[in-house]
Amino acid sequence: MLLFRSEEHVERWGRQWSLPRGAVMTPERTWRLALAWFGPNRRLPEWRRPSLEETERLLASLGLTGPFWNLRRPQG
Amino acid sequence: MADLDARARHHIYDITMARGAPPTVAELSTAMGVATDQLRASLGRLAAGRVVVLQPESGEILMASPFSAVPTAFVVETRRYAAFGNCIWDALGIPAMLREPATIRTGCGCCGEKMELVVDRNGLATSTGVVHFAIPAARWWDDVAFT
Repeated sequence: MLLFRSEEHVERWGRQWSLPRGAVMTPERTWRLALAWFGPNRRLPEWRRPSLEETERLLASLGLTGPFWNLRRPQG
Repeated sequence: MADLDARARHHIYDITMARGAPPTVAELSTAMGVATDQLRASLGRLAAGRVVVLQPESGEILMASPFSAVPTAFVVETRRYAAFGNCIWDALGIPAMLREPATIRTGCGCCGEKMELVVDRNGLATSTGVVHFAIPAARWWDDVAFT
């Protein structure tokens, strides 16, 4: 995941490397995703990696839905 | 084995969060008082469980996400140290995990122009640009080094 100056720069980068456009989001939403994913204390014995269902709920709570965020079906 | 793995995870993150970079196998062995061959087996299980990513040749920790053991284009400056995030999401994950302010310095993925994100006590304080996720979520772990 990279930071770009604008969506135009994302498009230019994709053309340069012949890569399809993925998902674009604001740094604010990425911050909320980072808080949700990395916030729980990984030093605690009871910590465990979120299950598929928990991760789906987490993504949905941030509005990250649709084919790109579907964890169950590999994309093209 | 589960107890050893939980202890290893605790020590990995304890050391990493204290200094900004994951420990070597030797450092972890000393910190835990556990032989390196036992630790390498534990690290293998933690890697299989996607808790850490190991370097392919040495078997040392490459990523104890959100921290990287090697320099990257995502420098995260906290009050205590400068650390490297594995990507922009991970770079934001460092202040999220530490619950501390930080400044993230990187460059535009396209043109390299300097960019900066600032996290303060209240959250993301200054924001610029857009974040691009290149790989669909279902495939993130096919090649975690390129996402």
